[in-house]
Amino acid sequence: MFKSIRYVVKENFSNVYRIYSIAKYELLADMRDSKFGIFWNFASPSIQVFTYWLVFGVAWNRKPIEVNGIVIPYLPWLIIGYAAWWFCQPCITNGCSAIFSKTNVITKMKFPVSVLPATVVCKEFFNHLCMMLIAVILLFIFGYFPNIYWLGLIYYAFCSFVLMESISMILSVLTMLWRDVKKFVTSITRMLMYFSPILWECKFGKSVPYHTVLNYIMKLNPINYIITGYRDSVFYGKTFLDHPATTLYFWGLTLLLFAIGCALLFKFKKKFIDLI
Amino acid sequence: MENNQEYAVVVEHVSKIYELRNKNNQHKTSNQRFYALKDISFKVKKGDVVGILGTNGSGKSTISLVLAGISDIDEGKITINGEQALVAINTGLNPQLTGLENIKVKGALMGLKKKRIEEITDSVINFAELGDFLYQPVKKYSSGMKSRLGFSISLALNPDIFIVDEALSVGDKGFAKKCLDRMMQLRDEEGKTIFFISHSLQQVMDFCKSAMWIEGGMLVEYGDVKEVCEHYSAYVDELNALKGKKKQAFLDEKFKKRLLAKQKKKSFFRRLFKL
Repeated sequence: MFKSIRYVVKENFSNVYRIYSIAKYELLADMRDSKFGIFWNFASPSIQVFTYWLVFGVAWNRKPIEVNGIVIPYLPWLIIGYAAWWFCQPCITNGCSAIFSKTNVITKMKFPVSVLPATVVCKEFFNHLCMMLIAVILLFIFGYFPNIYWLGLIYYAFCSFVLMESISMILSVLTMLWRDVKKFVTSITRMLMYFSPILWECKFGKSVPYHTVLNYIMKLNPINYIITGYRDSVFYGKTFLDHPATTLYFWGLTLLLFAIGCALLFKFKKKFIDLI
Repeated sequence: MENNQEYAVVVEHVSKIYELRNKNNQHKTSNQRFYALKDISFKVKKGDVVGILGTNGSGKSTISLVLAGISDIDEGKITINGEQALVAINTGLNPQLTGLENIKVKGALMGLKKKRIEEITDSVINFAELGDFLYQPVKKYSSGMKSRLGFSISLALNPDIFIVDEALSVGDKGFAKKCLDRMMQLRDEEGKTIFFISHSLQQVMDFCKSAMWIEGGMLVEYGDVKEVCEHYSAYVDELNALKGKKKQAFLDEKFKKRLLAKQKKKSFFRRLFKL
């Protein structure tokens, strides 16, 4: 177990430049494809947020969100949650094909396969930063200005990075063993989006039967921790020390997933070529 | 073990097994397994240049993957003294990016450090002879140009053992000559161990010191390049002389030798936990 973790961590850290180059040039190749290039990295999440805001905020007339007496209008509340999701969602779906999409490379040269999930996560992290830039500009327009609690964003970005790395390590190996995993995961992520507090608070009201149990189950979703964390840092002036139990749960789960991912990558490192 | 130090590669009773699918492309109901390589043993001295010969599908590429450490083996043991690298020409080039950017992409994929990539950039540009096409996206390149670029970057690697799989059969004659010259330089001046896989008997005879003939996944002969080449070309002529049904029967016979009975298939979860 520890051997595999040490192996994967070492391989990743000794190949930092390789990871960086692969992520960078893949982004660059994506941009070359289109005329406006980097513009789309900003435009497509904006259009998404705009759509959700039109449907849920305007058409369904969402009231501003009120938690503990602090009232936040729907649009800034939505965009910060969506910014976190904009990182998680592509990481999960693209993480599945992290190894599979590099088939031609791993069959033709000696290549440290365990760095591939990291390249996907790094690539998506760039898109996340683009999205955060838009979110921050929008927050300025709504009159939210940086304070010391915003530093929590860095912590939560780190959390999501580690979680996504762990998840994509597991999923990329499972996809190699069983191609259906990717299709399954793509459909599940759509569901996951509605069971994370992105478009709504993800809290069932008193009218729903078993609402206390359901609300606990919702909190078991690690993405819940990240998105709540992003909002806590920006709007509510809370740090991760305000939820010690969920923080502990999150890191326990993340490290477990990380260990599983490492073990899988280690076990199959030389088998991938025969699984294609 | 000590007496193995002078050898670059020691291969002992290595087998590699693939599972076959049946006619309907169903993994499950197929009950056949197939030797891609069967009980291969040989030793290669440091600084030796070995040509690998064999007809299509006889396991040449499989053995190159095994030697490169990319593919795992099912039986036997392989000892490699030194670092090995497979020269992969068209791998890792991104068609959207320009030639210059691709030098960085492929360099990084091969695991070169940033400084090393900057060092090699000029020599790659010189060797590949791309001219102004350096700044064009690779998708606009002709296949010869692509191979030239890819091969030039591959040369930047500096392993102890080179494995070249059909690499020199690309590009025009002039460039093939240039590549061969460079490979000869590696052979003569730097004393690298080279495995050279090619269908061109002429190239093998010119370039290699010894040769290995693999047929139907089995090692037929390993020894001096001239003898092996002679025997191999005699075999190919004989095979070509066979007509229609006879040839088919011969090939079927050869195929059957490589089959072996199948064990019970491991399920997904068995593969995951017990492998």
